[in-house]
Amino acid sequence: MSKYQLYKLLIKNERLRERRHPMFGKNRFVKFIFILTLLYYAAVLVFIGVTLAISLKGSYNGVAAYHVLDGWLPAILMLDFWLRFILQETPANQAKPYTLMPIRRSFLMRMYLNCSALSIGNMFWGFMLIPFGLIAIAIPLGWIKFAGWLLGWWILCIANGFCYLFVRTLLVKHLAWITIPIIIHGAIIAAMFVPDNNWLDMPCTLLMDELANWKMVCFLAIIAVVALLYYSNYLLLSTMVYNEIGNKENVEVKKTAKMTFLNRYGRIGEYMKLEVRTKTRNKNVKIQFATGLSMMLVFCLMMFFTDAYSSGLGKSYVCLYNYIILGVITLGSIMCHEGNYIDGLMSRRESIYDLLRAKYYFNSLLLVIPPILFIPLMIKGELSVWMNLGYLFFTIGVLYPFLFQMAVYNKDTLPLNKKITGKQNSVMQKMVTLAIFLVPVGIERLSIKLLGEQWGYLTMICLGAIGFATHKIWLRNIYKRFMVRRYVNMEGYRATRNS
Amino acid sequence: MNIIIQNLKKKFGEKTAVNIDSFEVHSGEILGLVGNNGAGKSTLFRLILDLIKADEGTVRMMDREKDVNVAETEEWKDWTGAYVDDSFLIDYLTPDEYFQFIAEICGIGPDDLQLFMDKFKHFMSDEILGQKKYIRNLSAGNKQKVGIIAAMLLQPQVLILDEPFNFLDPTSQSAIKHLLKKYNEETHATILISSHNLQHTVDICPRIALLEHGVIIKDIDNSDGQAQGELEEYFQVTD
Repeated sequence: MSKYQLYKLLIKNERLRERRHPMFGKNRFVKFIFILTLLYYAAVLVFIGVTLAISLKGSYNGVAAYHVLDGWLPAILMLDFWLRFILQETPANQAKPYTLMPIRRSFLMRMYLNCSALSIGNMFWGFMLIPFGLIAIAIPLGWIKFAGWLLGWWILCIANGFCYLFVRTLLVKHLAWITIPIIIHGAIIAAMFVPDNNWLDMPCTLLMDELANWKMVCFLAIIAVVALLYYSNYLLLSTMVYNEIGNKENVEVKKTAKMTFLNRYGRIGEYMKLEVRTKTRNKNVKIQFATGLSMMLVFCLMMFFTDAYSSGLGKSYVCLYNYIILGVITLGSIMCHEGNYIDGLMSRRESIYDLLRAKYYFNSLLLVIPPILFIPLMIKGELSVWMNLGYLFFTIGVLYPFLFQMAVYNKDTLPLNKKITGKQNSVMQKMVTLAIFLVPVGIERLSIKLLGEQWGYLTMICLGAIGFATHKIWLRNIYKRFMVRRYVNMEGYRATRNS
Repeated sequence: MNIIIQNLKKKFGEKTAVNIDSFEVHSGEILGLVGNNGAGKSTLFRLILDLIKADEGTVRMMDREKDVNVAETEEWKDWTGAYVDDSFLIDYLTPDEYFQFIAEICGIGPDDLQLFMDKFKHFMSDEILGQKKYIRNLSAGNKQKVGIIAAMLLQPQVLILDEPFNFLDPTSQSAIKHLLKKYNEETHATILISSHNLQHTVDICPRIALLEHGVIIKDIDNSDGQAQGELEEYFQVTD
């Protein structure tokens, strides 16, 4: 078999793997919604591109329109980087089925790196850049300039993709590697927002300008960066492919917390211990948790150091976001990690009810984090104590009951430690998340408008308190509905356990 | 505790996985379930444990005082222990933590747990307790042992084990046979085990059901230990 034939065969297998994913193949409606979601995001990007180009009308404050967008290059690339965690997997993971076959590992690595470079995902920003460039560059400045500019963007996206792959592969070794992008991106954000003038604006616009003018030195420079990243990834993957495939971890547990103080709560205490251990002993859950905490911190820092969220609505969003983000991340996929051992849970009487209660208490206790992070902002006067209390109670008593409903409908097992590859949020999860981020702020704004700030937040506190006081009732209801749907859910969990 | 199966049917697409008109496992009996791959042994166990939905029929557990349909109530979980595969294990716990977890949710105190564990000392052979390893890092055999012990921790009146001899070394296979026999003698629990190991099945099961395409085609009395020949003939293991 020639290398080309082999290449085609492996690509074909990849496509089959995606198409035959148990959950993807099962539901036509989900497929339809997935395509619709992609189209929606594409349409949003087209819309942003067109409106931005038209609103800037060729120039803004004497700066060419495309320079304004180029100034945001680091922000767009950062967003692109983090989005890849949801959608892209590492080549080492894809290579797994072929490791014992007579195929050279280097060939596999190169093939997947090439696929990664040529992936359609690297062109997704084209939905925004092409309409923007057509209006802001091609028409006023010429097609050649547009082509150079667009090509420059594309190469930078490829470089960004390789940066992601590098970090993703390092994460297999140790979670602490996540600090590298966090530090770099933190520094970039600081350089963009802390000084009066965005420090990165000038270098970025200059680079993109030179690319638009087809300055070969600049193209060679960014191509050299891509080549360097390609080679770095190749070396890293070659040495670490067995780590990913073997999924070996340090098998010796150094210390195990007994958490004896939870013993007094009986079964609930035991399930709370389980919650803590789920969060601290499983790579994917730890990543989820760390991501949530990082996001909370970033929002607090942005609010403290910039005016980005100085409006009333902005403050409400930051407040809501910090209170609910951990809940959305963990409860949006409630029971999905338990899918790994659902048969064991289901063979014990009422274990799901106890588990739900433990989850509720655990997540409610976690809400001690946002007020702590908000202390500097409260001292600075950016956020009021009333607002904090309002959102704290509202989250515990109104938003959590809403999120807990997902326990009835989730049926897709999430791996605890293996890579999450191609796992999509369900339509229901997306809708609930969307509602969680839109409805509470609306309620808060409406309450404040109708009743004034104090009474508005007092209303939110009362609603939350009612939700908390009745938690055993609504949790029991969720449990009963879960039991009605148990066969469907268990089948789903089993079907997706090792996929 | 008697297990009564009536008109039980389960299909996966066009394939019939289980089709049993009527079958009863008597209280205190050790029933061995044998059959080729895909015969429906695990599916039958999952139906008995209410882990999958039957297309038709019922599984009931009953004695003089109780009569429960497993699909309608969770009451039977109080007296049933089971291990089918590693989806029963919470693999990010150490075995000690897992046993403690099961003990707590079954209402077993620390002293009783310790006494229980002592009985399994030989079976665990210093490779499970106090090892400072998560279950996911144990060997397949040791995972199997953790699952079996956890299933028995409740001191169940009904014990269901799917292929309990799998992954175990010969010493442990022998140990688990003795443990199951002894447990049955002491508690008169109803025990259901499936296995591809005919010798072990014959050794400990006075009654053996042979499953083929979801149907129990033979209900063999092995009280005299003479089922070996009949089974070998069916499975064509002799020349």
